[in-house]
Amino acid sequence: MLLEVMNVRKTYGKVVAVDDVSFNIGKGEIFGLLGENGAGKTTTIKMLSTLARPDSGRILLNGKDVQKYRRDTRRRIAVVSQDMNLGYELSVFEVLYIYALLRGIRNSRKLIDDTIAKLGMTEKRNAKVGTLSGGQKRRVMVARAMLSGAELIFMDEPTIGLDPAVRREMWEMIRQMQADGRSILLTTHYTDEAEYLCGRVAIMERGRIVSMDTPQSLIDCAGAFAVDINSRTLLFRDCASADEYIAKESLTGQKVRQTKLDDVLVSSIGRAV
Amino acid sequence: MGSYAVLYREMLLFKYKLMRLGYVFYSVSTPILYLLAFGLGFGSRVQIPDYGAFLIQGIVCMSSMTNSFNMVSVSVGMGRLHSGEFQTVLTSPVSAPSVMGGLVLSGIIRGLFASSMILLAGFFVFHVIPFTALGLFALVLNTAFFSAAGVIIGVVIDDMENHAVLTNFIIMPMAFFSGTFYPVDFLPHWLQKVVWLLPLSHANKLIRVGELNSTTITSFILLSGLTLICFIAGTLMLDRYTE
Repeated sequence: MLLEVMNVRKTYGKVVAVDDVSFNIGKGEIFGLLGENGAGKTTTIKMLSTLARPDSGRILLNGKDVQKYRRDTRRRIAVVSQDMNLGYELSVFEVLYIYALLRGIRNSRKLIDDTIAKLGMTEKRNAKVGTLSGGQKRRVMVARAMLSGAELIFMDEPTIGLDPAVRREMWEMIRQMQADGRSILLTTHYTDEAEYLCGRVAIMERGRIVSMDTPQSLIDCAGAFAVDINSRTLLFRDCASADEYIAKESLTGQKVRQTKLDDVLVSSIGRAV
Repeated sequence: MGSYAVLYREMLLFKYKLMRLGYVFYSVSTPILYLLAFGLGFGSRVQIPDYGAFLIQGIVCMSSMTNSFNMVSVSVGMGRLHSGEFQTVLTSPVSAPSVMGGLVLSGIIRGLFASSMILLAGFFVFHVIPFTALGLFALVLNTAFFSAAGVIIGVVIDDMENHAVLTNFIIMPMAFFSGTFYPVDFLPHWLQKVVWLLPLSHANKLIRVGELNSTTITSFILLSGLTLICFIAGTLMLDRYTE
C-alpha cells in the first residue's frame, strides 16, 4: 500500500474534526472522500499532507510515518488545495517556476513549458494569474501537481465552482495523472465525479467514515434500484421488490430507476448534500 | 535551492509592488516627510551637533525596521490566512531553516531598499551619508532581526487585525522612543531603562557611534544575539507549524 491511514483522530478544542478514520490507497489508485461541508475531508488532507498533526492514530506513506519523516513525505506528495493559492500578481510561468524551485527541480523551464502546453495554456504562459478564469486557475494548480513528480496527489475539491464543461476537462486531467502512475486522493461534493473517477470511495459524516467501497459495491449494498417519492428516495435490492412496493402503496407515476451514488450518499448520511 | 525559491518568490512580488507607485509612496514617503519636517523645522534649534546626520541615521534605522518587519509579516500572515500560498511552501520539501533564510533575506533586501531611498533623500537635503562600515552592518543586522521577528508574527497571528494591533502598539512606539528623532538620554531615567530593552535603540546606537568600543559592544552583542534567537525561534515555529 502506498498510503495507510490508521485510526486517525483530530480535535480542535471540543470539536472532533476527524474521528477514528482508517483507509488506505494503493499505487495508481484514485480514492475518493465524499461528504458534506464540515465532514472532515479537508482536515484529513491537512493531516496527510503534514500540515496538521493527528491527536492519535498513524499515517504511513510507503511504510514511513508522515510526521516523523516530514521532508521525505513532502517530496512524495503534492496538494491541490481548495483555495486558489497561486499568487495573483505572478504569471503562470512564474508560479510554476517557483513551484519547481521549491520542489528542487533543476533546469525546469522546458518541463514547465511542456506542462503548460499539455494543459492547453500556452497562450496564457505570461498572463498574470489574477487575469485568468476560475477554470484556468484550477488548471494551473493541476499543472503544479503534474510538475511536482509526486507519487501521491491530494486534491481537495478541485472542481468546486467550475462549470460542467471545465469540470469534465478537469476529470480528464485527473485521469491523465492516474495514467502517468500517480495515486490520487480526491475530496468532492459531487457524486458523479466520484463515480466517474474513483476506484474506491469513502463517505464521511461528522468526522467518521460511514461506508467505504467501490462506487458500484456501495450502490449494490445500499440497493441497486431506487424509487423517488417526493423528496425522498427509497432503495431496493431488486427491481421486483421496488415494483411490489409501488403496487402495494398504490403509487401512481412513480418509476423504478437505477440507484446512483448520490442516493447512497444521501441515505448514508441521512440527509441531502 | 530552497532558500533561493522562497527569496525568488518574495523578490518577484516585491518587483511587482515596486512597479506600483503606491507601494514606493507608502514605504518611503512618511520617513522622508519626517526627515524634511524634523530636519528643516528643528534642525538649527536642537541642541544636537549635526542634527541632519543624526536624523538621517535614525530615520534610516526606523524605515529599515518597519519595512523589513511589515513586508515579511504581511507576506507570511496573508499567505497563511488568506491566499493559502504559504501552505504551498510549507508542504514542499524545503527545510524550515531554508524557508526562514529565504524570508529573512527578502526582508533584509526590502529594508535596505527603503533605507537607501531615505539615504538618497537625506543626501539631497543635508549633503551627508552618515554611515560607517559598522553602521551599515548594524543596519543589516537590524533588518535581519525585524525580518525574523516578522516571520514569527506572521506565523503566530490568527487574524490580520492582530497584525495592525502589534504594529500600532509595539512597532510604532519603538520607532518613536528608541532614539530616532532625539537621543535616548533626553527621556526620563525610568523610560531609558525600558527603551534599553528595545532592539531598535541598540541599532540606533551602533549606527550613530559607528565603531565598536566599550559603549557599543553590548549593543552589538545584544542585537546579534536577539537576531540569532529570533532566527532559531522562527525556524522552530516553521518546523513545528500545524493547523
